[in-house]
Amino acid sequence: MTVSELGLAGRIRVGVIGTGAIGQDLVSKLHRSPVLECALVIGRNAASEGLAYAARLGYPVSDGGIDAVLAADRPFDVLFDATSAAAHAEHWRLLADVPTLLVDLTPSKIGQMVVPTVTGVGGVTGRDVSLISCGGQASIPVAHALAERFAVDYIEVVSTVASTIAGRATRLNLDEYVATTQHAVTTFTDVAETKAILNISPAVPPATFRTAVHAVIPGADVAGVRAVVDEVAARVRAFAPGYRVTACSVAGERVVVSVEVTATSDVLPPYAGNLDIINSAAILVAEQHAARLSPAAGTGARA
Amino acid sequence: MTPVVVHDPTLRDGQHAVRHQLGVAALRGYAEAADAAGVPVVEVGHGNGLGASSMQVGRAAVSDDLMLSTVREALRRSKMGVFMLPGWGTSSDLRKAIAHGADVIRIGVHCTETSLAERHLGWLAEQGAEGHCVLMMSHMASAAELASHAAAAVGYGARAVGLMDSAGFFLPQDVTSRIGAIVAAVDVPVIFHGHNNLGMAVANSVAAAQAGARIIDGCARGFGAGAGNTQLEVLVPVLERTGFSTGIDLYGLLDAADFAERELMPAPPTTGTLSIVSGLAGVFSGFKHQVLDASTRAGVDPRDVFFELGRRQAIAGQEDLIVDVVAELGRTAV
Repeated sequence: MTVSELGLAGRIRVGVIGTGAIGQDLVSKLHRSPVLECALVIGRNAASEGLAYAARLGYPVSDGGIDAVLAADRPFDVLFDATSAAAHAEHWRLLADVPTLLVDLTPSKIGQMVVPTVTGVGGVTGRDVSLISCGGQASIPVAHALAERFAVDYIEVVSTVASTIAGRATRLNLDEYVATTQHAVTTFTDVAETKAILNISPAVPPATFRTAVHAVIPGADVAGVRAVVDEVAARVRAFAPGYRVTACSVAGERVVVSVEVTATSDVLPPYAGNLDIINSAAILVAEQHAARLSPAAGTGARA
Repeated sequence: MTPVVVHDPTLRDGQHAVRHQLGVAALRGYAEAADAAGVPVVEVGHGNGLGASSMQVGRAAVSDDLMLSTVREALRRSKMGVFMLPGWGTSSDLRKAIAHGADVIRIGVHCTETSLAERHLGWLAEQGAEGHCVLMMSHMASAAELASHAAAAVGYGARAVGLMDSAGFFLPQDVTSRIGAIVAAVDVPVIFHGHNNLGMAVANSVAAAQAGARIIDGCARGFGAGAGNTQLEVLVPVLERTGFSTGIDLYGLLDAADFAERELMPAPPTTGTLSIVSGLAGVFSGFKHQVLDASTRAGVDPRDVFFELGRRQAIAGQEDLIVDVVAELGRTAV
């Protein structure tokens, strides 16, 4: 096969649908990936800032929405879906017969749920991966670690996102955010009673993304909790370097762990750690998929 | 006399004062008393509304289902109201509340985040339900901003819209300008919900009615977070004396308030130190218990905690910031 038939230098073909802040940051992260080729960025508005950004970086763009994906001359290996929960359900239906791995950044709850430090990124078996929600990506590592180490009676995750980066789809998808995040917390902690809450902060300057994990843990000790949490935070920092524990409090059986995440991104402001952590997880999933499609992809030679 | 609708969230906002621990007998007894007095709307729920029982704010003694069925059974004439914060409760909570017979469904949003209510207000309008939108922490926005957000809420489907002075920060002239701007911008009834941190709740409510608000909130004995809300049994006769008719029976109202003092609360709210400080700091009074608990454990001054929360522009629902602020102040103190 020729180099062009192989794709650029053996990279796998990745499409991005959705041109809001998540979509733009994904494009910037693809731009830095040695194994992922940004083959098309798809929006629905030719004048959108997201399409203009992708075009400036030299990537093909389309304002044709999902039709542009279906019309592509050959399937994408991976399609990042940064639209909305309802749109993702429709995309999943339309792409049922296309051999593309869908990596879902909406809270649609359709695909196989991945939290890198909990599930790993190598065990993807279906064709739809759910990144759950930004609050899920930030809170579940801590919630899961606490549930592994202690007998937890109840767990609750409360995230706060800056208003300036909560786009329209996020605002219309609060119900799905709550349901999907809670479902994931229950699944990964095996705690029967859980709750998820999202606050949107209007503070100026914007507030750094944060998540509080509340838990009822009879007999918890602060040193034990702190050790568990510090260990898991270090593992999350391997792919989301702005992840840090800001407070850890134990009062009787009530435990509160607060985490802040700052963004490391070419396009996001530092406070937008919510988008950075979910997108970094999505990139890990895609890079792992690249390695599976082509074990030599990382060296630039596709089998 | 100009008619105003008095909306009574005693059994919802009052929950903040007792850590969301109102029991079934208290809910039933107060709802019956308010109904007998002819209070038009009796609102019930966890302090932060449907689906909000949580460690973040406090876990309720009674489930939403039981609260709503209890109060529904107790009301013969009064409408039943509920409250929901998007991101805390969801559409499925709204569906359940309507199935329980809720008549007035209020969606609360931070005053500059009205678009968070777009979906729920639209859904309520589709159901033909009476959906209201209340803009919380309304001291954090100008009259013009509030008017534009109120108009947006009406565009989404709200059948009434208005302000909550969640931190009890306003003085009467602040209310006059803000309510006036909203009245000029919308063609639905305008709501005012006062808090009493600076002793202004009744005066602010009268100012709101005079500026054109037609739904005024009040709680028996002011039952509510911190310094409490507008005191209902004071509000009603004062409104009547200033030219507004409420349709509420005075003796029945006084009986309901006596019941509330006896059965709902250990003591009526007072304007204590932390209520004044939260009002000055512009922080939701409902943070009081948690600020006090965490500050006492860490040996920091709870007044400093409130002012730091104000500096960080904490909004209703952000109780998780308290632990961080206390930890930070604790570190700088040693």
